Amino acid sequence: MLSIFTRGPNEGRSSWDVTRSVWYAMFMREAISRTMSDRLGWFWMIAEPAAMTLIMVAIRTQIKGGRLIPGAEFIPWLITGLMGFYLVREGMMRGLGAVDSNQALFAYRQVQPVDPVLTRNFLEGMLRTFIFLLFIAGCLMLGIDMNPDDALLAMFGWFSLWCLGLGAGLVVSVLGSLVEEIGKIIKMINMPLLILSGVIFPINHLPHSILEYLMYNPIIHGLETLRYGFFNSYHVVHGTSILYLWFFTFSLLALGLLLHITFKEKLKAR
Amino acid sequence: MIEINGLYKRYHNHHGSDWVLRDINLTIPKGVSVGLVGRNGAGKSTLLRLIAGMDMPERGSIHRGCRVSWPIGLSGGFQGSMTGRQNVKFVARVHGGRQNVEDIIERVRDFAEIGEAFDEPIKTYSSGMRARLNFGLSLAFDFDVYLSDEATSVGDRAFKAKASKAFKDKVGQASLIMVSHGEGMLKQLCQAGVYLQNGRATWYDDVKDAIAAYHAETDEARKQRGEQVGQVASGKSQQRPGTAQNELALQQGKTKKPSEAQQAQTDTSTQESETREELESLVARRRADFEVAKSAFEHAKAMQLVEMDLKPYQRRFRKARNQLQQAQERLDSSSAAEDAGDNSHPGSNHS
Repeated sequence: MLSIFTRGPNEGRSSWDVTRSVWYAMFMREAISRTMSDRLGWFWMIAEPAAMTLIMVAIRTQIKGGRLIPGAEFIPWLITGLMGFYLVREGMMRGLGAVDSNQALFAYRQVQPVDPVLTRNFLEGMLRTFIFLLFIAGCLMLGIDMNPDDALLAMFGWFSLWCLGLGAGLVVSVLGSLVEEIGKIIKMINMPLLILSGVIFPINHLPHSILEYLMYNPIIHGLETLRYGFFNSYHVVHGTSILYLWFFTFSLLALGLLLHITFKEKLKAR
Repeated sequence: MIEINGLYKRYHNHHGSDWVLRDINLTIPKGVSVGLVGRNGAGKSTLLRLIAGMDMPERGSIHRGCRVSWPIGLSGGFQGSMTGRQNVKFVARVHGGRQNVEDIIERVRDFAEIGEAFDEPIKTYSSGMRARLNFGLSLAFDFDVYLSDEATSVGDRAFKAKASKAFKDKVGQASLIMVSHGEGMLKQLCQAGVYLQNGRATWYDDVKDAIAAYHAETDEARKQRGEQVGQVASGKSQQRPGTAQNELALQQGKTKKPSEAQQAQTDTSTQESETREELESLVARRRADFEVAKSAFEHAKAMQLVEMDLKPYQRRFRKARNQLQQAQERLDSSSAAEDAGDNSHPGSNHS
């Protein structure tokens, strides 16, 4: 009757065809619900980091001196940090609700629990990239130097953070759905992470004994790489390593995908 | 053709896990419509989910040599916060109809006849509207086998007529596997029947025999319950060896006794203010409403709304639950009265 079904009875779609159409359908669905259904959804996506930046700048003008950032201006430094951090955080948080809020759609056997996580993360990355570009353009127009000195490195840092968020999202989406408490814990550690990742205050000045432990946090490595891409004269925190970041990211990605394979049926059946 | 070999299924939960389905061996030939009958909790919906590929069996295998739909039912399949149109779009895209999305939307809208509500969020729909949309959506694709899980139970007369006509038009191209307590619908649309009891399945070439076996079981249970008035509170029906049960069922199927028994039942129940069937349909409606309210509430919870926004869903959920309980109680009390009536006429019951 319809041309999608006019193939012969034995020529089904290939697995890749099915997956691709599921991703396309999911992506369109997520894109609409993310940007349209929420009132002022678009506005808040831009206003939230803008407000955060303004507040931080206001605080900083009050507490003058002391915490100078070596080799970079404060505002661009803050914006790159905030944007990079939000990219990772949203990747993780969007993953957390992805499986539960799409539970109804597992009625169609083509849809697997990993699909909403992947499409959400992709969409989130696209949106954040767009917003980041908007911010860069805005800053340049206001005369703040946000021109990346090494655009390729900056893009690579951005991509690394995206992958880190995706890995975290994959792991968290399974664990958070199976064990409710894990979701709560993850929401709790969000706020301290903002400070521990050196987004708002530079952590260069911290004593080595503390820094040693802080540097286990992979987000710092990503943010410092991103900032170094923007400001060539910037002194990154001692011990920053892209290799460590990617080891961490690949581990998370592998773990997340394995968890999804292992608990596929459990996630669907709930 | 669908082949099920040595299938076992159970759900792991906190309070032990007995097999829901055990050692199911069925071959459903191409083009034969099958009605699944059995009591609540006999595993009908589980079997349907397994055939649809939504769930995996613990042991055994299911071979689907054809295009099988998703289970068309009241719950699931739709995202509550999206409009009907968006949901239809999603399903059309998942099934690979990238170029035909508009075409499919038109067809679904024509079949469902829900008017302006097509562009409203699904969570505002009544259970009947959801069933219409789900049914229309599945008919927009040419599946070889359609799975229906009580999809027609909440529809009005016109919708039921329309649904059965749609299926009759598809005879020869597609078949149907349906779970239903509406026996008229089963007899109308299905040829063969599968009767599920205690996790085991029995195949009947004629759906009427399957229904007769089901009736024999419920009558038996009711009679036993009548004998043990006072122990009814335990609420559990007695379990008897399945083979003896089936023999009994076959015997009755031949001698046409169940129809007599049914006759007697209706005689006694018509004397009451509300007939049993009315009450049963009331319970079914209430249950459907309850399911909808429950899924809406769960969805709202999953969306992590603030308490203010969550409250209405919770209220609606509680109200639906209370109504369901009330209806259930009325049904129970009426069937208890009926049992008493049955006992006073032992001749009408096959002993």
